[in-house]
Amino acid sequence: MPLNAPVPEHPIDPFSADLVEGVARVVAVKGDRVWLEPELTSSCGGCAASGLCGAKGIGTAANRLEIRRFELVNAAQLVVGERVIIGVDGRALLKASVTAYALPLVIMLSAGAVAQNIAQSDGVTMIAMASGLAFGLLLARWIARWLSTRGQLAPRFLRRADAEEACKISSLES
Amino acid sequence: MQEYILLMVGAALVNNVILARFLGLCSFMGVTTRIDTAIGMGLATTFVITVSSMGNWGVEQYLLEPYHLSYLRTVTFILIIAGAVQFTEMTVRKVSPPLFQMLGIYLPLITTNCAVLGVALILVEGKMTFIAATLFAFASSLGYSLVMVIFAGLRERLALAEVPRLFAGPPIGFIVASLLALAFLGFSGISTT
Repeated sequence: MPLNAPVPEHPIDPFSADLVEGVARVVAVKGDRVWLEPELTSSCGGCAASGLCGAKGIGTAANRLEIRRFELVNAAQLVVGERVIIGVDGRALLKASVTAYALPLVIMLSAGAVAQNIAQSDGVTMIAMASGLAFGLLLARWIARWLSTRGQLAPRFLRRADAEEACKISSLES
Repeated sequence: MQEYILLMVGAALVNNVILARFLGLCSFMGVTTRIDTAIGMGLATTFVITVSSMGNWGVEQYLLEPYHLSYLRTVTFILIIAGAVQFTEMTVRKVSPPLFQMLGIYLPLITTNCAVLGVALILVEGKMTFIAATLFAFASSLGYSLVMVIFAGLRERLALAEVPRLFAGPPIGFIVASLLALAFLGFSGISTT
């Protein structure tokens, strides 16, 4: 979440059924900001241990989690090592998926279909589809930036997590 | 045009990747507890299957077939799929860090999804043109996403139902999946040839 992130137009209701919950661990506190690292929740029973693994390097679980760190306002006075429940609006997940994947794909396939109709050549179609994909990704970047400025993609702090609750969430997800 | 529509309907419904070919069953059971996550996983898989199939088609046509290297097909395709997943991950991270935080979790799971490799191998058997192969891959993955979303919806309803303890959890999930497969069997009456 950017430092100057605005208040979302549709604030998350913590009791909403459309809320996708996840577990994150506090890895750093800087002033009124807190850095969180999402936990791997798919491995049964390993959720609590996954963040403590010492193995690091490209492609390892620790590395993958490190690149997914994010920042939140430390309104709850969190400290390093604490585990918290964060929430993302289900509609935000849908918007994000459509922006990142569906939009570039549709533009790419449309470009390919037009090129095939005109040129009837595999080579031209391949170039047109690659160009369509690049254009689609640029458009996705622009839309994602627009959604971010409206605060629609940011995760929110919901509550502190205890071990039982965290594992309940992981068992629901897997 | 009609040829492409029939190809896509056949790939998405008649020969559905999950319910007719029984590929990608791990994610089918694992990521379908919520509709939101099923859509996220479905769209991510659709993107990777389509992009990697384009790469696989090119390598098959211009490298493996002309130089009689078809014995390297499986290894090459796995490499291309892993590359496509990596490309998608890097692109999403570059395009939008917030999107990557939300959707990045699904991407590593796709590398080991056998539906991706399965579609690539089916494409090779079909001897299709580039656009036909891409549309086939896109339609196959759309069929995959459709079944994921339908099944997630059923499981959300099932969570509210009173299921006997013996069947609770995965057993009732498999029973529902088999009923869904029977329903999809009805599409086999559609002639796509």
